[in-house]
Amino acid sequence: MTLKDIRPGEKCIITSINSNNLRKRIIDMGLTTGTSILVKKTAPLGDPMEILVRGYFLTLRKAEARTIEVERTGVFA
Amino acid sequence: MGIKVALVGNPNSGKTTLFNGLTGSNQYVGNWPGVTVEKKSGKYVLDKWEADIIDLPGIYSLSTISLEEEVTSKFVIEKNMDVIINIVDASNLERNLFLTHQLLETDIPIVIALNCMDIIEKRNHKLNVTKLEQLLGVPVIAITASKKKGLLELMHHVQHAAGNIRTVAHHYDEATESSIDRLSAITNDRFLAYRYFEDGLQGLAGIKIDPKMVEVLALIRADEAKRFSLDIDMILPNQRYDRILAICKDVLKKPDYEKESMTDRIDKVLTNRWLGLPIFALIMFSVFFMAFGPVGSWVTDGFVWAISQFFGWISSGIETLGMAPWVSNLIENGIFGGLTSVVGFLPQLAILFLFLSLLEDSGYMSRAAFLMDRVMRRFGLSGKSFIPMLLGFGCSVPAMASTRTLDRDEDRKITTMIIPFMSCGAKAPIYAIFAGALFPNSSYVVVFSMYVLGIVVAILSAVLFKKTIFKGSSANYLMELPEYRIPTVKNAILHTWDRVKAFLIKAGTVLLSAFIIIWFLSYFGFVDGTFRLLQDTELEFSLLGYFGKFILPVFHPIGFNDWRAAVAILTGFVAKESVVGTLGILYGVSGNVVENGSLLFANIRAAFTPAQAYAFMAFALLGAPCIAALSAMSKELHSRKWFVFTVAYEMIVAYAVAFLFYQLGSLSLGDLLSTLFAVAMILLVFASIRRIIKSKGRTCGSCAKCVIKGTCHSPEREEK
Repeated sequence: MTLKDIRPGEKCIITSINSNNLRKRIIDMGLTTGTSILVKKTAPLGDPMEILVRGYFLTLRKAEARTIEVERTGVFA
Repeated sequence: MGIKVALVGNPNSGKTTLFNGLTGSNQYVGNWPGVTVEKKSGKYVLDKWEADIIDLPGIYSLSTISLEEEVTSKFVIEKNMDVIINIVDASNLERNLFLTHQLLETDIPIVIALNCMDIIEKRNHKLNVTKLEQLLGVPVIAITASKKKGLLELMHHVQHAAGNIRTVAHHYDEATESSIDRLSAITNDRFLAYRYFEDGLQGLAGIKIDPKMVEVLALIRADEAKRFSLDIDMILPNQRYDRILAICKDVLKKPDYEKESMTDRIDKVLTNRWLGLPIFALIMFSVFFMAFGPVGSWVTDGFVWAISQFFGWISSGIETLGMAPWVSNLIENGIFGGLTSVVGFLPQLAILFLFLSLLEDSGYMSRAAFLMDRVMRRFGLSGKSFIPMLLGFGCSVPAMASTRTLDRDEDRKITTMIIPFMSCGAKAPIYAIFAGALFPNSSYVVVFSMYVLGIVVAILSAVLFKKTIFKGSSANYLMELPEYRIPTVKNAILHTWDRVKAFLIKAGTVLLSAFIIIWFLSYFGFVDGTFRLLQDTELEFSLLGYFGKFILPVFHPIGFNDWRAAVAILTGFVAKESVVGTLGILYGVSGNVVENGSLLFANIRAAFTPAQAYAFMAFALLGAPCIAALSAMSKELHSRKWFVFTVAYEMIVAYAVAFLFYQLGSLSLGDLLSTLFAVAMILLVFASIRRIIKSKGRTCGSCAKCVIKGTCHSPEREEK
């Protein structure tokens, strides 16, 4: 399962990050393995998506989200 | 010479505010050679001690993905400073401390300026600064950059830290540190060893090393990589974040229950699935309405009236001095006339800048990019390019200046290059008279088709540039949405003034000389064999008039059979408004033709066929922009080569499109047919763009079929 499959309001944990143009930057922005992510929403046109990670809001395209392997952990109250 | 102090920190952490606070009015902005981004430096004086403060572009990490970021990381890797002030946004501690940990791997003295403590308090969080200082091992000083609080204490620590080499703490686990030991035996510098371990050769940012050493280093790195289960580029970041998490747990106390933040609540509306786009359209419309609508034109009219009164007053004063007629003519028509046409933009420009910097300060601009990214990606650009392109419909000058908010040099270049195709406000009078005179029943359709034509050409050009010149590079998108802030009026006005000032300086220097040259060409000429100063009505005999007649054959294929049309186009390079004004003079029509185009209808109808008129409009729309826009373009492109290329490209495109319209339009006679034809052409072009984009579509960011694990080695990355 990848970050792209997580619906708004759901939480997940990163298991690994596959190769993409922004891989190192994504890692440096705090998306390391084991990090917990809350998916906030997708933009009105369906892409990019907004996530809450390490206490701040980050937006990324689904193209990159697809390369981030995650495990769903639950729904945010 | 004072010591060199560099401000390093995440984007949006308050570096520039701190810079302004430290350097006060002594600051100057300087372009440093070889880079496309402005680094600022200024002086700080404390008693007799002096420091050069250097404001660097914000970075998230020393591993860079853009040229601008490379400026900063290179500066750090080359250790170009005596002390680093690392600005840390306390409200975003986890991510900010990542860069801090990279910086701690250097032996340069570091002082941490902890900013945004007020937000921490507002959130009811408790941050133990003393403990943070203990854990990091470097001084941590809480400041409020916007209120200049804590700056004196900060600089005392900087003064104290200068000259002391720091010992680098070994923060990583044994396996990692032993790998670093092996590498640093070769590099002789532990920091470079960390950089190399993390990013390979790229991490050294072009530092010269012996090619033999490169091989040795690569062998060691590959060898060490086998010892870890994680990919090698993840080892240091993972451990850094583990440590950061432990630190944050120790120093930051959060309440058990957190109420929904203001940002959350605002975003529920502004980036809402249904409301987001309409609100965005409304906000953009309002900004345009303020700048180019009644308010803007009222202010502009008043302003232009005031300066022409002022200039007129000076002119009449000069006339009484009894100077040679050419001197007073030069002052009146050349200098004052030219300046009025350009400085007339100033109020609209100022209004636009003011609102945009308010939007920028508030944090809305990143939301706009978030909303529009999906659309812009289709053309190989990112959401951030949307705002500059939209501004192009008002005026190219502020539009080009706003490309600086884009992340990557390629995106900035492409956006700057296509902005002139957006039909700016000054081109509207041209359409008004031609469409009004020759397409009386369908003038709205024709005018609208010009706007569409501009957009289509801009988009096609963007796709073309992406497919040829900037091959393989696709606009990346990974963007933080900052907390909303209430923008300060003071900051917005400062920002606006900065840009207005730059515009005025340009108007007084580059543009002024251009106006004098053009004035000379249009007010001097041969009449009955004598070379003399001309009257307003004698433009036909001016050097410009002769030139117009001389190059007229070039314009024949695109339908210009009248030298007046050629001259009008030429004067359009001063300001697009003067195209219509010049036609008025040449056809001998009295009255303000710019404001009342119908005065010219009869002459235009006599001189142009519909196809010629359409070709004329297309050429005026797409051809090289006015001098003010050209100088903005050369400033933003930072390169003569690119500038010449862009102007040539625009002229060729304008010529080709006008040629197409004229030649094909002439086949069918009559108002209706050629209008229909134009519409059909545009639809056709649209359809072909769709096909091109669909075949291109996906950006490299996806790498769907890519099987490489670890560092990406696509050509784009290897180039850097």
